[in-house]
Amino acid sequence: MCLTVVLLLVWQLPWLINFVSTPSGHSPFTLYSSLADDFIYNDMGDDKKLRRFGTSGREYTEAETDSLLPFFYMRQLVADGRFPDTIMGRAVTPHEVQQSNLIERFNPRDVNTRGIELYPLLESMPKRVELAMPDDMFRITADGIEFVRMESNDVDREKSERFTKALADKGFHFPATRVSGNPSPRKSYDEGYLLLDADHRLFQLKRCANRPFVKQFDVADSIRLEHIFICEPSGRQLRGFATDDAHRLYVITADYRLAPTAVEHFDPTRERMLIIGNMIDWTVSVTGDDAVRYYAISADDYSLIRSFDRPLDSSSVPGLHFTSANDNYCYPRF
Amino acid sequence: MFYKEYLKTRWYLLLMLLTTSGFAGYGLLRLHRVAAVNGIGHAWEVMLMHDVVFIDLLEYVPVICGLVLALMQFVPEMYHKCLKLTLHLPVSHLKAVNQMLLWGVAATVACAVVNYAILWGYMSQVLANELWSRILWTALPWYLAGLAAYLLGAWIILEPAWRRRIVNIVVAVLVLKVYFVSEQPMAYFGFLPWLALYTIALLSFSWISISRFKEGKE
Repeated sequence: MCLTVVLLLVWQLPWLINFVSTPSGHSPFTLYSSLADDFIYNDMGDDKKLRRFGTSGREYTEAETDSLLPFFYMRQLVADGRFPDTIMGRAVTPHEVQQSNLIERFNPRDVNTRGIELYPLLESMPKRVELAMPDDMFRITADGIEFVRMESNDVDREKSERFTKALADKGFHFPATRVSGNPSPRKSYDEGYLLLDADHRLFQLKRCANRPFVKQFDVADSIRLEHIFICEPSGRQLRGFATDDAHRLYVITADYRLAPTAVEHFDPTRERMLIIGNMIDWTVSVTGDDAVRYYAISADDYSLIRSFDRPLDSSSVPGLHFTSANDNYCYPRF
Repeated sequence: MFYKEYLKTRWYLLLMLLTTSGFAGYGLLRLHRVAAVNGIGHAWEVMLMHDVVFIDLLEYVPVICGLVLALMQFVPEMYHKCLKLTLHLPVSHLKAVNQMLLWGVAATVACAVVNYAILWGYMSQVLANELWSRILWTALPWYLAGLAAYLLGAWIILEPAWRRRIVNIVVAVLVLKVYFVSEQPMAYFGFLPWLALYTIALLSFSWISISRFKEGKE
């Protein structure tokens, strides 16, 4: 009983202290501006009013910030009648900006939590305009792919064999080590699933006119991919992201290649990442345990434009926890 | 000893079985309604996309049932001074209290087994293995919490001194909170064996109360 009481105190007291103390570890919203060649961030001044600063120390007005980040504040500029015809020497329209803008979030919770290993494979070339949920779901076993009909809760042998053969014919080795998809009909198009096979090789699986479409990506043998993230941006400029065993970040391009990026380290099991991109540059923020690393990278070749780190003040009282922001599991951890 | 416990709790045990089975059945009815209105495919989809488990109304039912079972079994013992007589029987007082607790544990486990049989019987017909096993794993900490509530309830009721009893109540509430820290499906999956072992170890808490009772603490 004494052990129980001690554990309860180690659990509840730090929680109580952290709960009543002022939260720390705040990281202001930051975006890179190619026009200013600087990162611009929002922060509260001493007067508790939202102010905008550059990392160079310069303060910007709200209107200046809108103009310096025209891709992000495009709607405001259009509403004000201030949206420019050209940005960085490139002729642009609001529609083009909307198509090329990209926002992607990566949370360790999604990687570390094992979900239900059943996946709906949508028809990527539907007869109707809108996508629709299928009437079966697939699972990938050590021997192949199995489609389970939802209505009768049994395996569709013929379809399973057809898709298993299509994957095997393209050199896919079962079982899959990673499966990444976005099985929702509320999107403009469907790219099926990205799969890593037993040898960590990257494939795409789609259902086109009820037939399997399998494509292997062109990845160098020296790269061993660990995590994959499918992406279906409205501009179709890429197919997703991947990280390798050295935590390097790659873009999975629309032409089935793997392009390295200037983000030298991203561990999706421990770090959060936010990518806000446009047709000129992307701002990539990687939040680790003690700092947020910001990278401005080129949207054309993902090379580094500029970077800076902002330390995080995480001065919370250590103690026993049962949950974590990094996964959905519940067990005691210090 | 078991017969005495049977006589004392039989009607409540029947009520407990009917109540928990009723809530389990209501969860299945919800699943059946979703299937009837939108097709069973919709039930699969909401489980997959929105972490729905359909039997979430059952969450606190085992805890309440476990607590009431402890009350039904041990309050008469304390109120009618039967415990004092029991502890004067020519058997070890620990053995006597263990047999009483074992009856409650067996009844709680039997109730959980019946509930699981009901849930599995229907769900395995209409859901894939991955889906029905997720629901059953998700419910397991709730049933362990029921067992813990029974054992902690017994510990509190058997405690002879009121001041200490209040401390026990605070500890028991915090211990029970551990079983409900996360509402995510299968959140306790890896921790379940340890949680089960700890729940069984809670049986030893009542030994402290009995020892204090024997020492005549008030």
